[in-house]
Amino acid sequence: MFHTEEESIVTMINHIAQNNVSAGTESDVADMVESHITKFWSRRMKKILAEQLATGTEEFEPAAKVAAQRISDKLAAKA
Amino acid sequence: MLQHFDPNKDYGTPASLSEKLVTLEIDGVEVTVPEGTSVMRAAAMYDINIPKLCATDSLEAFGSCRICAVQIEGRRGTPASCTTPVDAGMKVTTQNDKLAKLRRNIMELYISDHPLDCLTCPANGDCELQDMAGAVGLREVRYGFEGNNHLNAEKDQSNPYFTFDASKCIVCSRCVRACSEVQGTFALTIDGRGFDSKVAAGQNEPFLDSECVSCGACVQACPTATLMENSVIDMGTPEHSVTTTCAYCGVGCSFKAEMKGDKLVRMVPAKEGDANHGHSCVKGRFAFGYATHKDRIKAPMIRDSIDQPWQEVSWEEAIGFAAKRLKDIQAQYGRESIGGITSSRCTNEETYLVQKLIRAAFGNNNTDTCARVCHSPTGYGLKQTLGESAGTQTFDSVMHSDCILVIGANPTDAHPVFGSLMRRRLREGASLIVTDPREIDLLNTPHLGDATHLPLRPGTNVAMVNALAHVVVTEGYEDKEFIASRCDTKAYAKWREFIIDERHAPEAVEAITGVSAEKVREAARKFATAKNASIYYGLGVTEHSQGSTTVMGIANLALATGNIGREGVGVNPLRGQNNVQGSCDMGSFPHELPGYQHVADSVARARFEKAWGVELDDEPGLRIPNMFDAALAGEFRAMYVQGEDIAQSDPNTQHVEAALSALDCLIVQDIFLNETAKYAHVLLPGSTFLEKNGTFTNAERRINRVRKVMAPVAGKEDWEVTVDLANALGYPMSYSHPSEIMDEIASLTPSFANVSYERLEEHGSLQWPCNDAFPMGSPIMHTESFPIGDEGKAKFAVTEFVPTTERANSRFPLLLTTGRILSQYNVGAQTRRTDNQAWHDEDILELHPHDAEERGIKTGDWLGISSRAGQTVLRAKVSERMQPGVVYTTFHHPGSGANVITTNNSDWATNCPEYKVTAVQVEKVSQPSEWQKNFQDNHERQYEFLRGSASANSAVK
Ligand code: SF4
Ligand code: SF4
Ligand code: SF4
Ligand code: FES
Repeated sequence: MFHTEEESIVTMINHIAQNNVSAGTESDVADMVESHITKFWSRRMKKILAEQLATGTEEFEPAAKVAAQRISDKLAAKA
Repeated sequence: MLQHFDPNKDYGTPASLSEKLVTLEIDGVEVTVPEGTSVMRAAAMYDINIPKLCATDSLEAFGSCRICAVQIEGRRGTPASCTTPVDAGMKVTTQNDKLAKLRRNIMELYISDHPLDCLTCPANGDCELQDMAGAVGLREVRYGFEGNNHLNAEKDQSNPYFTFDASKCIVCSRCVRACSEVQGTFALTIDGRGFDSKVAAGQNEPFLDSECVSCGACVQACPTATLMENSVIDMGTPEHSVTTTCAYCGVGCSFKAEMKGDKLVRMVPAKEGDANHGHSCVKGRFAFGYATHKDRIKAPMIRDSIDQPWQEVSWEEAIGFAAKRLKDIQAQYGRESIGGITSSRCTNEETYLVQKLIRAAFGNNNTDTCARVCHSPTGYGLKQTLGESAGTQTFDSVMHSDCILVIGANPTDAHPVFGSLMRRRLREGASLIVTDPREIDLLNTPHLGDATHLPLRPGTNVAMVNALAHVVVTEGYEDKEFIASRCDTKAYAKWREFIIDERHAPEAVEAITGVSAEKVREAARKFATAKNASIYYGLGVTEHSQGSTTVMGIANLALATGNIGREGVGVNPLRGQNNVQGSCDMGSFPHELPGYQHVADSVARARFEKAWGVELDDEPGLRIPNMFDAALAGEFRAMYVQGEDIAQSDPNTQHVEAALSALDCLIVQDIFLNETAKYAHVLLPGSTFLEKNGTFTNAERRINRVRKVMAPVAGKEDWEVTVDLANALGYPMSYSHPSEIMDEIASLTPSFANVSYERLEEHGSLQWPCNDAFPMGSPIMHTESFPIGDEGKAKFAVTEFVPTTERANSRFPLLLTTGRILSQYNVGAQTRRTDNQAWHDEDILELHPHDAEERGIKTGDWLGISSRAGQTVLRAKVSERMQPGVVYTTFHHPGSGANVITTNNSDWATNCPEYKVTAVQVEKVSQPSEWQKNFQDNHERQYEFLRGSASANSAVK
């Protein structure tokens, strides 16, 4: 069980990465995570994710981190 | 010429399914019927009606009353026409002096032991005995009415819905056969012999104390007033009827609502209903009293804050108040600061309108539905693997299954009519495999043959499903031909490499699941070698942190064994609420437009934009848990909730309550002041399924009509309220009937393209996809290809087992899992307001004798249950059905606070909450929990606010 929204966002992306760990290499897993988040997460969740990646203290799984970076870059490009 | 099948006529014996036709002569008329048809039915098909008492077409012929005797050329005696099958060239006589005398004699015997109070009998005018006495021309009874008879037998009124008046029983055993053949409960027997024989429930107990589940099949089958609905005894026989669809569970049974004026007298399951074929459960047949309950919200109400009493206002004022608040909030906090929740209890048309209102008038995609908390993993998992977010079969398909695998579902309680059908197939010899922590009732099916229970630990479904698939592949049971021709080669190769790994072997996961490897291997072999093997699953699969993974694992298993695309096989989610399939189909999810078209799909979006005349957001909106989080963060401030009780049904109640309390404007549209409404600022009266027109879509993708039988209590059907709100927000909607909404749905949703009210009228029901490719709908899906990728090939998915973080430890050593029972429905708002309370008036905690003994707990003790999320108090029931270490409860009663203890853990793909696994501790206590005390206080205060509004209003008047 987690508490803050920020914590839960990071827990969720890690959870997605863990559930797709057998997708292949780290980059394959990151692809899965990225496409999942693009498809299902709201703008607000993506924004919190990018903030956590930049400044948060929560730990990312390696593949989740790669995916979070890509999402964050896309957000920055859109803005 | 063959007559048309008339669902209102009783043909005496069931139809024969044979395709071979036989021609014979009955009373000089040449008749042609399927081989295996009884003489009685053959005659009835040509409108030659032979008297009958013990025969009815929902039951196999029994041949006990002999009143249906006929003469057949070349045969001796007078055979019973109900038990005599037709033969080619047969010559039958149904009427002559000899037969007439015989029938009169039989009838005379019956009547001599029958009270002659026809004029005051509740069945007067609707009694087959009375009809037959007339038909055989009975004029006198020579035996007298004295002596040994049943006339003084006592009535059994223990069941709240029907009365058993033994004095009127003719011992035809139709009730006994209905209970065994149709319902599969075997609660009734004929006790004694000859003249002394009588019908008995259980071990000669009152009905309520016997194993009777009050389905009413016996009442329906009874030709006399012996078993009779209390509502008919009270109100008299109905005078007209309207066919509609049950609003309780995802089976979607068809009913005739039998009326007297505008009063509903009884619900009789419709024989022509393709989902239920004339059967029902206690909820659909009897539990409709909530519709006229005094707690119904009868007028719109508003208030500025949730600490204030309600103020009763006109519809215009309430809608205007709501619209102004929504607009003001958006002006101040932005377009995305509001959203809404569609209802899986409302119709397709209503659900469609609510998501349209949100996307088009609110201008965002913040729409979600209660499927989030039940079958969202089904939507995700089946779409990834099979290409369509729905089950693949009809219910009837189970009658062709040779092996039935049930995972995390409890059909006899949660989908009772389908449970009965499944039991029928099991009695016929299909084998059963149940994967469930609990010993569900299906495992105690009378006359069950080969059955295996894999009692796994909660939270280990993926490990189990993978182990089953591992055995299939490594022991060489794959259906190679099916895989080669129907499945994507690359995805399959990847999956195969994954699944053959030793870490998925039953021996390797034994320590995880707690089920012996040999048992798992045997079950896998049984499943893989059956000619037709089917999988049925429920919330025990989806409501886990790996719900979506298990759904994909189930699809893998079906694909690997070639069990998709024909009768008797398939992947079958048993969906909970009446229209949860429909609410998903209608675009309730934040990422999908109606018909599962993604919001980022510019072609689909453009079609909707054109039809709706607005620009649509291409990013997914907030899901329910995100709405709560955003509300607590102050960014989400208003919500329109139609027909859902998120405050009771969603996990971690205290978190939900805090989020709802943080809203500036909560608009609740419901039939009662439900838990969510206690946090509302606008309360709009909802209408029940009896008060509106529309459609529901059941778990077999069957679109069924809902027809209005009475006027909505507050004057508006639910869809009309949404239309008003849209108009008040400045987004014009104008529909004069739900059929127009369906036409719009059909024009925008490819899988519904050929659906219209006209065609539903014509066909009774239609199963989507229903379009030019499948003009008559699609009972069985994926027969030739899958709607996925360019090649239409199914995709195996890699399904890694990741244990949930919700684990037992020394502080919380037990695992709590939650579920449902037969007599109550979901949050119970409806069934708690009916006599179904007789069966279940509180949620209790079931625990294994071992765990009970360790804590000194006895059945009936008050138990404090605490988890990482909260604490509540329930009464204990010590039960062998549980495994040690696992405890179980239901969540039908709000005051129990079952969801105070469930956590925020959720499915990785869809956020479906992990209701099925919560680590808890239990201990004996003497008083309710803090939360329960607060709940009770708030409950009383909010009801006071409601009563205040009613009395203030009547004072003004
Ligand atoms: S109500 Fe249903 S379960 Fe009960 S005795 Fe009648 S047929 Fe059997
Ligand atoms: S209760 Fe009704 S159905 Fe049952 S044996 Fe008596 S008359 Fe027949
Ligand atoms: S099985 Fe479901 S749909 Fe059928 S009557 Fe019971 S509750 Fe209604
Ligand atoms: S109806 Fe045929 S024996 Fe009773």
